[in-house]
This record gives sequence, C-alpha cells and structure tokens, in this order.
Amino acid sequence: MLRRLFYLLLSVAALLFSGCSDGESGTTFTVGFDADFPPYGYVENGVSKGFDLDLAREVAKRNGWKIVLKPINWDAKDMELNSGSIDCIWNGFSINGRESAYEWSEPYVDNRQVVLVRKGSPIRSLGDLAGKIVAVQTDTPVQKALMKGGAKETLGKTFKRLIISPNYNNAVMELEAGSVDAVALDSGVAQMKTASSDRFVQLAEPVMTEQYGIGFRKGNIALRDAVQKTLKEMVADGSAARISGRYFEGRNVLILKP
Amino acid sequence: MDVLTIRNLSKCFGSLPVLKDISFSVRKGEVVSIIGPSGSGKSTLLRCATLLETMDAGSMSYGDLEIVRDGRYAEKSLLKAARNRFGLVFQNYNLFPHYSVLRNITDAPVCVQKRRKEEVVAEAKALLRKIGLEGRENAYPFQLSGGQQQRVSIVRALAMNPEILFFDEPTSALDPELTGEILRVIRQLAEERMTMVIVTHEISFARNVSDRIVFMADGLIVEEGPAKELIDHPREERTRAFLANATSGTI
Amino acid sequence: MDFRIMLAELLGGLWISVEIFLLTLLFALPLGLLIAFGRMSKIRIVRWAVQVYISVMRGTPLMLQLLMCFFGPYYLFNIPLAGGYRFVAVILAFSLNYAAYFAEIYRAGMESIPTGQYEAARVLGYSPVQTFCRIIFPQVVKRIIPPMTNEVITLVKDTSLAFSLSVLEMFTIAKQISSAHTTMIPFVVAGIFYYVFNFVVAAGMGWLEKRLDYYR
Repeated sequence: MLRRLFYLLLSVAALLFSGCSDGESGTTFTVGFDADFPPYGYVENGVSKGFDLDLAREVAKRNGWKIVLKPINWDAKDMELNSGSIDCIWNGFSINGRESAYEWSEPYVDNRQVVLVRKGSPIRSLGDLAGKIVAVQTDTPVQKALMKGGAKETLGKTFKRLIISPNYNNAVMELEAGSVDAVALDSGVAQMKTASSDRFVQLAEPVMTEQYGIGFRKGNIALRDAVQKTLKEMVADGSAARISGRYFEGRNVLILKP
Repeated sequence: MDVLTIRNLSKCFGSLPVLKDISFSVRKGEVVSIIGPSGSGKSTLLRCATLLETMDAGSMSYGDLEIVRDGRYAEKSLLKAARNRFGLVFQNYNLFPHYSVLRNITDAPVCVQKRRKEEVVAEAKALLRKIGLEGRENAYPFQLSGGQQQRVSIVRALAMNPEILFFDEPTSALDPELTGEILRVIRQLAEERMTMVIVTHEISFARNVSDRIVFMADGLIVEEGPAKELIDHPREERTRAFLANATSGTI
Repeated sequence: MDFRIMLAELLGGLWISVEIFLLTLLFALPLGLLIAFGRMSKIRIVRWAVQVYISVMRGTPLMLQLLMCFFGPYYLFNIPLAGGYRFVAVILAFSLNYAAYFAEIYRAGMESIPTGQYEAARVLGYSPVQTFCRIIFPQVVKRIIPPMTNEVITLVKDTSLAFSLSVLEMFTIAKQISSAHTTMIPFVVAGIFYYVFNFVVAAGMGWLEKRLDYYR
C-alpha cells in the first residue's frame, strides 16, 4: 500500500516536472490559465473547464501532445512563461496593449469590455459613470485603458474612484454589496453573471473592444505556428464552433479564418 | 497585648489536612521561632497568617482588626488594613528584578502607603547603612549575592513599618557561609524588640534569638515553650526525636 | 518605464503598507492584552469564548478574515457597504487577527513570571492593578520582545494581503508594474524596501531589548 502510494507520488512528481519541459521538444503542452476567468478558463468541482481550455485540449490531442492545464497566479504569468513552467497563456488573453510582449497567435475572439451595474441602478450609459466608484480586475486591458495614459483615460477621469480588485469575483461581490457602483469587465464574464443572477444589468455601450490571442514566449515561433495551424484546421472542420457553442449559448464567437 | 491571634485554624489541600486546629498568638515585642520537620505545616501556617493562603476554619486577628471569624474573611478594606501591619521575608527573597535596590525598598511605601518620597528614601538609606549595604542603592538585584539580596528584602519589609515581621526560612536558599549575615541582622532586630515570627531550620539560632519556640509536626503544634527550655529539655518524645536528628546534622 | 516614476509609485505603496502596519500595532497591542486577560480569566465562559476566538483567528487564513470583515456586514446583515469602509475593514481584520497572536505571547510572558513576584507584591499591599502595571508588566515586556519581534516582522510582510480587499499596497503595485512592463525590477525594489522596513523594525526592537538589558 505504502509502496503503491510512493510510486503514485513519484509519477505525479514526474508529471509535474515534465510539465516544465518545452512543448515542441517533448510530448507535453502546458497551458497556463487564470482559474478565475469563466467561461474561458475556470475550475468547477475540481475540474479545469472552459472554452479556451477545450480548444487547447483538442489542439493537443490532434498533435499527439499530452496536455497539462496549469492554473497560474495572473500577476505571475510572465514569470511562469519566461521560466518555461508553462508553454503559453491561453485564457481570454487580450492582445491589445501587449502587442510586443509575447509571440502572439492570430486573434481568434473579438471581445468587448462592458459595464455591469446593479439592477435598478440609475447608471444607464457610460456618461452616468461620472462621479461613481468603478471596479476592474487587476492587470486587465480595461484597467490599463481607464488609467492614466490609457486609451480610455478621459472616461476613467470622470469616475470618483477606480478600484482595482484582485479578481472578478471580488469586484462583482463589491458591486452586490454596494461598495462599488459598477464593474468594467469582459463581456463573456458579464454575460455569465447576468445569466446566472438577475441582480445585475449590463450597459449596452461597451467601454472598448479588444481581441483575444494565444500568448507564447518571445521567440517560440515554432510552437506558435504549430498551435495556430491546428486551430485553423479546427475552425475549418467546424469542431471549434461546436466548442464555442457549448460555452456561448450556441453562438460561434471565433473570428479566426481557416 | 497580642499583635497576632490565631484560634482553631484548620486548612486542607484538597482532602489532605495540613493544619489541624492550630491556636497561636504573638505578643508585642516577642520573637517566636517555629521549627519542625518538612511538611509539618509551618510554612503553610505562615502563609495563612500573611493572607497568601486562605484558611478553611478558625479565626485570626491582627490586634484589634478581626480579619477571619470562623473561617469567614472580613471585607477587602479590612484585609488591606491588616496587610499594612505585617511584613514577610521570603525564602527566595522575591525582590523585583527590574527595580534598583532603593526602588525595591521605597516603591511600596510611596505608592501603596502614599508617604512622602524624600522621607521614605532617607529612611531606606538609613536602613541600608544599618545592614551594611550602604552605597548599593543603585545596584540591581542580579548584581548582589544571595545574602545581600535577602538583606535588601528584609529592609524592604521593614520600610513598610510593620508591627510584626514574618520570616519564611530566610536562610534556606543561601550557601552556608552566607547564612551568618542574615542571622546577624535578625538578631539585631530582636535586640531592638521587633516582633518577629521565624520559620527556620537553624535550631541553635532559634534557641539563642527567640523568646519562645513552637514545634510543629503533621499539622499540629506538638509543643511550645520558652526557647532554651524547649530545646534543652523537650517534654514530648517527637520533639526529642526531631531535635536529636536536627542538631546532630548542624552542630 | 521611468525609474523615478516607478520609485514614486512604489513609495506610495510603501506608505500604505506602513499605515496598515502602524495602525494594526496601535489597535492589536492593547487588544491582545485584553484578550490575554480574558484567556486567563477566572470566569469559565469568558475563558472559553476567548479560547474559541483565538483558535478561529489562528486557524483560518488572514485573507479569509479580510474578506469576512469587508463583505460580512452586507452578506450577513444586509448592510450596504460604503466605499470608505474598505480601509477600515483592512485595519479591523489585521487588528483582530494579530491581537489573537499577541494575546498568546502576552499570556506566555505573564505565566513565565514566578508566583513569588505576585506574592511579594501582595504582601507589600499593592492592588491587583498596581501589581500588574508596576511589577508584572515591565518584566513581561522584557521577556516577550523576541517572540514579538518575529510576529511584528511577519506583520510587515502580511500587509500585502490587503490587496484581497483592493487596497493597493507596495507588493501589489510592484506586481502591476512588473506585469505591465514585463520587468522584474519593481520586485527587486519592493524586496529592498521590505527588507529596509523590516531592518528598521528589527533595529527598533533591538534597541528596546538593549534598553531593558539593565536587569536580569
């Protein structure tokens, strides 16, 4: 019994260790994701799920790679990637504002950043946010855009305060509890929140539109190309659209052309 | 006039009786030694008298202050007044390590008895001179020998101007060569007719310095009488046995 | 990014960390003493309640306590939260948590004082309050400095947990600059700041220890 446990631990360790190897040279493909980012990547009942993760699984399967899905601390994503402990960041990852920091795939999803407010809130447009407290998740494109030097700085300046939350869940909890008046967030997440609870309403007007891509380590063009090629095949044969349908109520959100 | 009167004191630790129906009193100016084997209850008697232990039954008065009647203690203000009448010198000195010698002596008179600081300091210095610790006012207890610390603790008790001073085996924690200096101080106090109750193992010292000796065993007062008479001509068999044993060791 | 701007941002964060640190000490040090008294109380219910409190505070993550302090009023009692409550909740959670640890240190310190000290004070007529303030507590302070130094240094590092309530202290700002500009420099700078902060704290405690070194 003890011996079996020992071998089990050993094989788990080996698995973790192999996760650190490079995807193209070995047989593993390690995807780093923020486990707090539904519906793109999240953990439900201990299982990693999500639109991006299902795409990644399929890509790995078609290439004969062993997939490792690794939840990461979003703030440490660059260290994870550069140290080689993950092969790519694939998790509703906005290209906008980070164009030169990664080896990017072609954009595969158009995503909008929208505003969520409490039901019955007097806020009905972006203009109504003036003098209000607005929360965003740390290190997201919308945070960067709303802050000084960002693309939406003028909008950000009208707020009473911009609160930077460690994750979406905190921001939405604060909205519910009343300590913030609105949350600017990814439309995919916003849709999930409005679908699961009638306490929130999404403003029609988006803050900004951005595109998602898969981020690879600088210089890792070979792996980027291999993943992108397989992803395009999946778009061509309709399997990518089926995966999208599972997470976006039947809609195909992919913008990648075969 | 009795300074301390104890009548029919009983005390148990759990189910174990340690003091059985003890009656004991001390007159003004009298020096009483309590001797007896370990576990005879003599220290417990002292701790009951100094209100560090509570008695289960019996009565106790300090002069006109009746502080226990039939096992019931008087109100706090009365106990506080009684505490003002006695002093206690511990076996382990129990000086306050964070206070200098002078502060150890003057803190309680100033902050408990609310006496004027200058007066207390002058008195403390005079007492230190008397016991041969002049010039050590600013030393801290850890810088003193055991004998010096014990002398300071005697002065600390005296500075409160007690009517009666208790000693709980004042030389037991000291190296044999240091006991002499403590015994000299106590003898000096006896000559000044300070009322004292001394729990001790020093039989010959007790014989020389005391007016009266009480011999205790198994929680009872077995025998008491004038010091020299009790030591030289004990009436009870147990006293004889104890003295034979104790003196063969020390003399 | 301009190094000076980065430095300015990190210093701003450092000030928040220092604020959390000082305010926590201000409230947790006396509160811990009160809790220690409760822990040693003669009344069984008080002793029991305080024991449960200490056990919960030490047995659950500080991050969870932070979330409870901030969101608790709304989710438990339906009180809408005002924005200004955020920092209050941080200080509240830190103080309640650290007071539990401090209480155990105080208690260990008080229990290590020989009973002879209490007895000597009692015979000399000191009231219980005088005994504690004049005789016992000064000796306790000397004895608890080493464990207190450990705890206080941990507090400096724990200030980064304030970010779970969106209070941007130094470490979070370092993370943000780092991820925005793909550079490790802010971490290095933040590390140096933390070290200097702790160095000052340790030096202060060392000074206090030395000052109390006049007796044994």
